[in-house]
Amino acid sequence: MNLWPVFFREMLIFSNRIRKPGYIAASVMTPLLYLITFGMGIGRRFSVEGASYLVFIIPGICAMSAMNNSFSGIATSLAVGRLHFRSVENILVSPLSTLDIALGEICGGAVRGLFSSMFIILIAPLMGASFPRDPLFYVAWLLTTVTFAALGTFAGFMARSHEDTSTYSNFIIVPMSFFCGTFFPIDNLPGAINLFLRALPLTHSVICMRSGYRGEPIDPLNLAALLFFCVASTALAVQAIRRSDR
Amino acid sequence: MIHAKSLSRSFGDRVAVDALNLDVARGEVFGLLGPNGAGKTTTVRMLTTLLRPSGGSAQVSGFDITAAASSVRRSIGYAPQEINLDRDLTGFQNLLLHGMYHGMKGPRNRCLELLRWAQIETHCNDPVRTYSGGMQRRLQIARSVMHEPAMLFLDEPTVGLDPQIRRTIWELIRTLKLRNIGVVLTTHYIEEAEALCSRVGIMNRGRLIACDTPQRLTQDVGAWVVETQGESGMDYRHFDDHESAVTFAKGVERRALRIRPATLEDAFIRLSGERFAQ
Repeated sequence: MNLWPVFFREMLIFSNRIRKPGYIAASVMTPLLYLITFGMGIGRRFSVEGASYLVFIIPGICAMSAMNNSFSGIATSLAVGRLHFRSVENILVSPLSTLDIALGEICGGAVRGLFSSMFIILIAPLMGASFPRDPLFYVAWLLTTVTFAALGTFAGFMARSHEDTSTYSNFIIVPMSFFCGTFFPIDNLPGAINLFLRALPLTHSVICMRSGYRGEPIDPLNLAALLFFCVASTALAVQAIRRSDR
Repeated sequence: MIHAKSLSRSFGDRVAVDALNLDVARGEVFGLLGPNGAGKTTTVRMLTTLLRPSGGSAQVSGFDITAAASSVRRSIGYAPQEINLDRDLTGFQNLLLHGMYHGMKGPRNRCLELLRWAQIETHCNDPVRTYSGGMQRRLQIARSVMHEPAMLFLDEPTVGLDPQIRRTIWELIRTLKLRNIGVVLTTHYIEEAEALCSRVGIMNRGRLIACDTPQRLTQDVGAWVVETQGESGMDYRHFDDHESAVTFAKGVERRALRIRPATLEDAFIRLSGERFAQ
């Protein structure tokens, strides 16, 4: 296995991006606004599941930010590289295996997601919340970024136009941001809706990261589900590269 | 090095390449000549494993393009018609990454060597987006030979470039021949094919309608041409020898009469025209 060259390329591109003024601000702006509005604004006035709403919402926003940046970062980079600049073609015509390419891109996307969502974790103590100490929180965080980076790789290789990646984002990623337990506990929702939401990867990310953040034991079923989504989305990414006539 | 048999590709009902038979030897510069839409790029994309054939088969460097695609990719270089460099990265980084894709050990010296060869060593640490079109094209060709491929595919390498830069790229391609690298060059510039190629295949509407040395192709359609200005435009008559052309010219009472040796362009127009007529 040789995923390093593709990962290295993504890191070179990413290091160029983060040096541009405004990149970091743009990628953390939305989650930061949620954190300030819901967390600081109303978070201290009431509690959810026995803790302040701020503590409830921080891991959810961290998971949401990890999802958005892992997915969009790599999906946009790949779609533009494939359809506009065609720079991805030089990777496809190299002897690297399809799995090498997929894993290199996924790791690149995961780093983007970890980088952006890291700011939520760093800012949380400044708002009076604690720093996550349970190692399983970090495992769930990493699995979240890998899962959505793989879905971003899938979307980037499936896209037939630049607008396609926005379509994937608007119909899959944005609804997950709001309904998968980021801002409210899904246990209160009716059975069918609850069941449907548990079929989505972000739900398990949020549950695992929230438990880890509070120092509570993580349900192995949720972690297993997250691992399943991670493997399944990686398989989808590999298939998408194969479908690109390679 | 390349052996294609009945290689075909269709997009829906449209046949882009129709039962192409082709043989190219190592160290040969082979030109694929044809108008836009003739099937040149589709042929190259199939031979570089970027597009699966609809029918037929092909071997490149002894490997089947579908069954052993990875081995084919290891043995070839490809510079497509569009500049597909990573524009935010530097020239050096572009070459370095390409070396890494091909598993090269210690590719830095090779990068510097090629940057000198392409005459862009003074800009090697600048982002590619700041390069001129000619510099980008030279870097793209340098990148395609980075891993020392046995076979190189250059798809319209000089399209859109001014004549001076075109000559520089021709010189680069000539040095590849000296290194015994086989080159498949697609172009619709006839003078480019004449200047560089030891053999030329003429494609039209997905079919290879002729394949030979430029000299033989021109001789086959008549080595001498008499050009006359007719009422509905220029008229071209081909003759096997100069005497026949002169004899014909004496009996013609038309303005703007000219006798000249035939070129590959004459062969191309005549061959493709005949096929259109059929």
